[in-house]
Amino acid sequence: MYTEGGREMIVRVKNLVKRYGELLALDHLSFTVNDGEVFGLLGPNGSGKTTAINCILSLLEYDKGEVEIFGRPMRPDAYDIKREIGIVMQNVAVYNELTVYENIDYFCGLYVEDKKLRKRLVEEAINFVGLKDFKGYYPKKLSGGLLRRLNIACGIAHKPKLIILDEPTVAVDPQSRYKILEGILELNRLGATVIYTSHYMEEVEQICSRIMIIDKGRAIATGTKDELKAMITLGEKITVESQHITPGQLNRLRALPHVMEAEYKNKQLVIKSGKGANNLEAVLDFIKKEKIQYGKIYSELPTLNDVFLEITGKQLRD
Amino acid sequence: MFTHIFCNRLKCLLRDKENIFWTMVFPVLLAIFFYLALSNIQQGEVFQSIKIAVVDNAEYQKAEHLKTALNEAATGKSKLFDLTHAAREEAEQLLEQDKVAAYLFVEGGRPKLAVKKSGIRQSIVKSFLDSYQQTAASVNSILKNKPRDPQQLLNSIGDRRQYVVEVSGTAAEPDSVLIYFYSLIAMACFYGGFLGMREITDIEANISPLAARINVSPVHKLKAFLSSMSASVLIHLAEMFILLLFLRYVLRVDFGSKSVYVVITTITGSLTGLSFGAFISALVKKSEGIKIAILVGGTMTGSFLSGMMYLEMKYIVSQHVPLLAYINPVNLLTDAFYSLYYYDTMSRYLLNIGILGFFIVFFCACTYFIIRRRKYASL
Repeated sequence: MYTEGGREMIVRVKNLVKRYGELLALDHLSFTVNDGEVFGLLGPNGSGKTTAINCILSLLEYDKGEVEIFGRPMRPDAYDIKREIGIVMQNVAVYNELTVYENIDYFCGLYVEDKKLRKRLVEEAINFVGLKDFKGYYPKKLSGGLLRRLNIACGIAHKPKLIILDEPTVAVDPQSRYKILEGILELNRLGATVIYTSHYMEEVEQICSRIMIIDKGRAIATGTKDELKAMITLGEKITVESQHITPGQLNRLRALPHVMEAEYKNKQLVIKSGKGANNLEAVLDFIKKEKIQYGKIYSELPTLNDVFLEITGKQLRD
Repeated sequence: MFTHIFCNRLKCLLRDKENIFWTMVFPVLLAIFFYLALSNIQQGEVFQSIKIAVVDNAEYQKAEHLKTALNEAATGKSKLFDLTHAAREEAEQLLEQDKVAAYLFVEGGRPKLAVKKSGIRQSIVKSFLDSYQQTAASVNSILKNKPRDPQQLLNSIGDRRQYVVEVSGTAAEPDSVLIYFYSLIAMACFYGGFLGMREITDIEANISPLAARINVSPVHKLKAFLSSMSASVLIHLAEMFILLLFLRYVLRVDFGSKSVYVVITTITGSLTGLSFGAFISALVKKSEGIKIAILVGGTMTGSFLSGMMYLEMKYIVSQHVPLLAYINPVNLLTDAFYSLYYYDTMSRYLLNIGILGFFIVFFCACTYFIIRRRKYASL
């Protein structure tokens, strides 16, 4: 098994290239996932996250590159590797004719032949995703959130070492989303390495220990959330809700020390300051001095969206 | 692993109401419909005596030979006419009210026919009258030439000699209605294509997320496919046997005496249908809806060409495009059933089963070569 910096390397992707005709879906994508990590693949829709996952799983042909899992080359017939992987697809993939219990049992049975062990694992998975009261339900009777939880249970019931979750919270209510994210962290605490793809930066920030931002099939930045935020010049963003700001006031604000940018739009004054500066006090003094009427004032540290915006020039949700 | 996939697949198939409807309930309903519609055809084929009237007047009483001929035609179990003697006005009234197909009267010593409209019954009455007049004229003409033995002439006048000998290839009675039921069984066999199609849909990762999930599991793709396909085969065979039992014991359809061969034919048909569905599903790289449309369209066209909707079509195809009859699996299946029922020899039956066997191998081999790939260009 490969090691890098003393940690076991679970997944190694090197120079992955995938073309759909003229479209370059993956552009020499390289990354590694280490043992015990929750590795986030963050990018807007169509950035290549799912394509990357499908290539890693040997579902998709790719034009160039290498994929290794647990230190061995990943191939469609690498059943010993597949046995240790749990996959939660973006689209719910369950049988409508089987109940919640039967679905989990069926997919778990593709990995675990021992009936007694399987029964225990299925019960654990049901409890884990909170579907105990819905065991005998058919998928059609479940809400979107419960269906997503079932989808997850089908992917993780066999207790895999590596769990890949491809946008598991799409179209999910806040309660189920919270439950799913908590569950992923719990799985990680129990020893699973997780690859988590999403275009929701808040989710990725919340649960991922390391993040790769991907756009147009290219990795544009990789690191912990703090490392990613450290890559950009933005240090602080102050927002002031105000009914009126004159152009002169805006220009004087821009002249304040450390202020990189000041904009007034939709009755919101946004002041961005450089790294290392704490400009909140200076902005408050300015507002008082200029006698600007205001509602709320709040200060934010940079988000992953700011990272994405500064690197690509567009919003993560564009 | 085989048992695990097989048993779960059985559960899925048995709980899929739509599938069960199309592969079992629908053919049974269609069989009932055929039974109700076609039993009248059978009754229609029984000859009904033609109601005619004859004007019973002095001239008719003088025409002794005509009286004798008409009375003979109007007596017995399978009598040709249902004869009513009436006055001229009464006969006309009966004709006007459609109570008789025609009425006869004698005028100037010659029998004449009055009809209101033309039709089969009227044609039969006219043929009878023509035949009577020709025979009467011939006898009169010969008697005028004073033959040596007039009695022998009279004895042999009604004698008809056959110069062609009819040799039957079977002891069974020809039954055109059976072809409809055979086509129905063939169609039901080919509705198994829905099951075959679903098996491919659930194993090809580029078609369904469910298949993608199975493809990433540590189970060989073909092993998973064969396990679930076995469940489909079992379900479909069971459905076909239910249909056969329903036809035989509820609707009393007579399949002849070779029941073992009927079962073999049904199994062959079922396998052909399943493999055909799998082949179409693997071949057509379109959405599930388009695949279903192609499968249903193909099956219905095959059924039509084999005579399910229009009986003569089977013979038209056999006569004008015989190759089409041999490459239409639905036709091969109906033909296998019919030859089993109708012919005493097995050569035609075996030819049909042999070609169907070839089709099964062909469909399975093509399906294997298409689905054996394990990575996809796109998902």
